[in-house]
Formats: sequence, C-alpha cells, structure tokens
Amino acid sequence: MIIFLLLPALLLLLVVFVVPLFRYAWLSFHADSVITGLIAIPNGGANWLRLLQDLRYWQDLGQTLRFAGVSVGLELILALCIALLLDQRWRGRDVVRTLALIPWALPTTVMALGWRWIFNTPYGPIDHFTKIAGIGSLNILGDPNFAWIATVWADVWKTTPFAALILLAGLQTIPADLYEALRLEGGNALICLRRITLPLLRPYILLALLFRLAQSFGVFDLIQVLTGGGPASTTESIALYAYWNALRFLDFGYSSTIIMASFVLISLICVIAWIGLQVLIPTHPKSRGVIEL
Amino acid sequence: MTLQIQNLGRHVGQQWIVRHLNLHVEDGECVALVGPSGCGKSSTLRLIAGLDPVSEGEIILNQKNISHVSAAQRAVGMVFQSYALLPHLSVFANLELGLRVRGVRPSDRQQRIQAMLELVQLQDRADVLPAQLSGGQRQRVALARALLRDPDVYLLDEPMSNLDAQLREELRPELRRLVLDRQKPVIHVTHDQHEAMAIADRIAVLHSGRIQQVATPTELYHLPETLFIAKFIGRPQINCLRPKDGVITAVRPESLFFAKEGLPCKLMSREWLGSSQLLYLESPEGSLRLSCSTSVDIPESLIVSWHRSDEHYFDEDSGRRL
Ligand SMILES: Nc1ncnc2c1ncn2[C@@H]1O[C@H](COP(=O)(O)OP(=O)(O)OP(=O)(O)O)[C@@H](O)[C@H]1O
Ligand SMILES: [Mg+2]
Repeated sequence: MIIFLLLPALLLLLVVFVVPLFRYAWLSFHADSVITGLIAIPNGGANWLRLLQDLRYWQDLGQTLRFAGVSVGLELILALCIALLLDQRWRGRDVVRTLALIPWALPTTVMALGWRWIFNTPYGPIDHFTKIAGIGSLNILGDPNFAWIATVWADVWKTTPFAALILLAGLQTIPADLYEALRLEGGNALICLRRITLPLLRPYILLALLFRLAQSFGVFDLIQVLTGGGPASTTESIALYAYWNALRFLDFGYSSTIIMASFVLISLICVIAWIGLQVLIPTHPKSRGVIEL
Repeated sequence: MTLQIQNLGRHVGQQWIVRHLNLHVEDGECVALVGPSGCGKSSTLRLIAGLDPVSEGEIILNQKNISHVSAAQRAVGMVFQSYALLPHLSVFANLELGLRVRGVRPSDRQQRIQAMLELVQLQDRADVLPAQLSGGQRQRVALARALLRDPDVYLLDEPMSNLDAQLREELRPELRRLVLDRQKPVIHVTHDQHEAMAIADRIAVLHSGRIQQVATPTELYHLPETLFIAKFIGRPQINCLRPKDGVITAVRPESLFFAKEGLPCKLMSREWLGSSQLLYLESPEGSLRLSCSTSVDIPESLIVSWHRSDEHYFDEDSGRRL
C-alpha cells in the first residue's frame, strides 16, 4: 500500500502547491480588487483579454526571458567548466570546492545588497575603477543598457556554484576506466568530453537546467533589491509585475492571471528545454536505434 | 614482435607498487600474471598500457622503447576488469567509437564490426545496450573492441572474474581461439590459478609488486621456487610440516597416502569433492590436508606417509627453495 506511505508528502503538496494553483486559476476569471471591495466577482475572460493587450506585461515577459536565457546559459557553461576543474586532482582542490559554495550559501537579499553597493554610482568600487581607467562614470544601475546585465551578473555569480555542484556530482558517477578505454583507442580529451562526459552528464545537465530555468523565470528578490525593476522598469520581471499588481494596486484578479500565464509558460519552456537538450547532446553517435538515457 | 619488460617499476610517494619487473613475452605466447589481491597485477598492466607513468625501467615493444609514449599511441588492446563499455551506446556503437576515433572510413567500419560481431557470435545483439547483455556477452564485446584495435599486445585484466565458474570454463577455449590466433604477445591477469594453468604458456607469480617466478604451469607446480608459490599454486593447498633447523618441509595433499607406518593422525573433518575427497587431519607435525579418491576406504587407525621425492624444502627465513 504505497499510497499510504506517500500520503503525508502528497498532502503537503496538495496544501502548498495544488490548492494555491487552483485558487489562482479560479481568481484569474474574477475581478477582485479595491474597486470590487476585494470581493471576487466573475468577469469571464476580461483579465486574460487585458493581459493580451497589456504592453507592460509583454515587455516584462521579454525581459524575464532575456534574463533567464542569458543567465542560465552562462551559468551552465561556467558550471560545467568549474565542475570539470574541480573533478581533476590538484592541490587545494577540497578547499576550493568548499569556498566555491559561499555565493550560493549567501541569502539572496544579502548578496543583492552587496552587488548594489559594488555597482553604486558614484560611491561603488566599479565606478571608482572606471573613473581611474578614464572610461568615466558608467552609472551601471541607472543605465537601461547596463542594468539588466548587472542583474544577470549577480544571478550568475550566486547560482553557478549550485549548478556546478550538481554537475560535479554527475561527473563523479562516471567511472575512470571508461575514459581510459577510450584513451587506449586513441581518443584525446576533447573526444572524451564529447563521447563520454557530455552524454553521461546529460541527466544532470537537464536537472540543473530545469531547476535554474524555473527559478530564474520566477526571479523576484534579486531584482527587487538590486534595481527594484528599474531604471524605467527595464529590469522588471513578471514576478515583480505580479507583485506590484497584487500588493501595490491590490488587484488580485489580474495578478493571478499573470501568475497563471507564467505557470503555463514556464511549463512549456521546460518541455522545450528538455527536448532541446536531447537534440543538442545526442547519446548516440549514429542514428542506429536512438537510445534513451 | 615481442614484448620485453626490463626492470620496470612505479612508485606512488614513498611506496613502490611494482618494482624490478622483468618479463619477456613472445608473439602468440600467453603469459598469465597471477598473485593475491593488491599485489600489483592491474598496476603492471596499466604501466604497459601507458595509463600510469613509469618510474623506472623500460617497456620495449617490437624493438621500440615505448616507456614514455602516450597511451593513445601504444597500440595495446586492453580488456578491463569491469569491461568499461559505454553504457549509453549500443554494442555496435561501442565497437564503432574506436574505429571512428582512429579515422576509419564509415563503409569500412560497418564491414569490420559486422565481421567481428560474427567472430564473437553477437551478430543479433548489435543494437542492444551493454546493460541488456549477460556478463559473458559483455566480456565478448570488450574483447571484440580490443581485437578491432588490432594492437601489438593484448592485456587482459581478469576478463572473466565477473563470470561464474562454469561459464568461465566454457569461455576459456573461446578466449584462446580469439586472442592467441592473432599471434601477438598476450598478458592475462587472473587470480584463478586453474584459469592460469589452462590458458597460459607460462605463468608469472607476482607478490608485493615483485615477480617471484616465471615458469610453465608444470614447472611451477613441481618446482616452486618459494614457499609462497608452493602455497599459491595447487589446490588443496600444500601441507607445511613443523620447521626443523630452519627448514620447512612441504608436501602436496595428493602426495599423501595411507600406510602401515608413518605419521599417526586423527581425522578432524572431511570434504566431498565429487571425484575426490579432502580429509583434514591432525598430526604431531601439525594439521594436514590429504586428498584421495572417493573410492578409497578410510582406515580405522589413520597413518599417513609419502615418498621422500615428493617433499619440497624451503628456508624458514627467506622462504626460498633449498
Ligand atoms: N594510484 C595509486 N596510489 C596509491 N596506491 C596505489 C595506486 N594504485 C594502486 N595502488 C596500490 O598498489 C597496489 C596494487 O594494486 P593493483 O590494483 O595493481 O592490485 P591487483 O593485483 O590488481 O589486485 P586485484 O586482484 O584486487 O585486482 C595496491 O596495494 C594498491 O593499494
Ligand atoms: Mg586488479
């Protein structure tokens, strides 16, 4: 009776996941704001129609996708390099392995405040250096061209260790004799990476990718603290917009619509990423009976 | 074409894993490397394959010193203890990878793999993953991969250790047929002395990283150079009598027989082995093992004896044959 063993976990999931989800879905077809006196009144698809025409939403969606795509892409590439490095034998490796986790262990708010100070104009160290170098003041957090890069930068800095840890765990499951056998057949390091490491690491890459995609698509705290969505809402994410609608404008109906739309979107993105990864890293060098890992 | 190993050694830190290793293997000759666990058998093969760096000595293959040539350039075919097949590739793709890496043309690859699969009788398993194969089939794939490499020397690291005793016996002649037909030097690591005696032309006994003796199976059995070898080769294990004046006398269990006069013994226990039986005896000279045919009746008063010529003598301190 496995169901009884799973019951506590299922109940928990029901309370923290399924119930809110249905509540959001339900609310997204209701008007529920200060105008209605915070009473949910059915309004058909009005919220959804509004969403389709809401330019600020589409702008935020684009910004969120840009943020998630660039930072997750960079993170995975960096994490793979770091994991490969930490998997080798060298002196001081264990110390570095531990130290590498510090960014990830810091609370997001704390590290975002740190970066806000570093990027600060005119008092931050970066501003100081650019002035010395003769580039002048860049006003990073105040410039729409730089501000979003700063958010990506901080996110990459914080979460790369997490992705690297997952990939390192994956690397350690690959037996050394697989590499040795291929070396005896004349394979070099690059061939080993392509034919052994990447295919066998694929489930771990997928894990890191899905975790990070879902997380960065819903990014809130980092941006809230670092830029507050500015300048001129050019770094605003969907989660930030939903927060503004719910807690500043007290429009719970529309906020739920934004959240539901994000939920559907991120599910779609994860499926696409999963399929894309299979195309990108085939486990089979030849089309003969493609085999799933 | 021969493999010559001269004074080969490797150390990690202060500890020598293998040292003063001298071995000469002719084309078409199979030398079995035997020894207890951790004596350095795998390390020796790894040195020859170039997977570990050589600390001292030379490896000469076909008159060419390859001691410091990279593994990829050595032309060795190795079968790993664990087979080392890529789990995400089919049998066919596993075999193909090496050929692909070495730049063999696709049409050629197809043909050679097909022929090889037929040779190892796995034609119908080409598209199957290694996990879906039996242990014996996996071993044959690993062997096929080494054969496709067409190397100048074959290194087999306990290729049958994961198989049950019966399958091992069945595969032995097959291994001989496949590998020895290639007329290349073969080093076969095993901890199974029966396997070593059945397959090898000569046996090298390794102990704590040193070769103690290299000899034909019969020589090794009849004239073991050290007490360690006498104990290691031959089952049931050789009997060692109480040492006298620094000399240990050893007699094989199958050399003992019942007699009117000799050593009085007490029967402690008995093992039935089918065609023979093994008796555990207690005597004034210490405990003895006696192996005899099951048709032999066990007498009331147990007195055992043996021929003087069946005795082996070893120095108590050095363990060397006297
Ligand atoms: N990289 C290494 N660093 C330190 N010691 C090592 C290293 N590689 C092997 N050794 C040591 O060398 C010895 C020989 O190991 P090896 O694997 O060759 O044994 P083996 O004869 O193959 O044993 P088995 O029959 O169990 O496979 C062992 O005591 C092992 O601990
Ligand atoms: Mg070994």
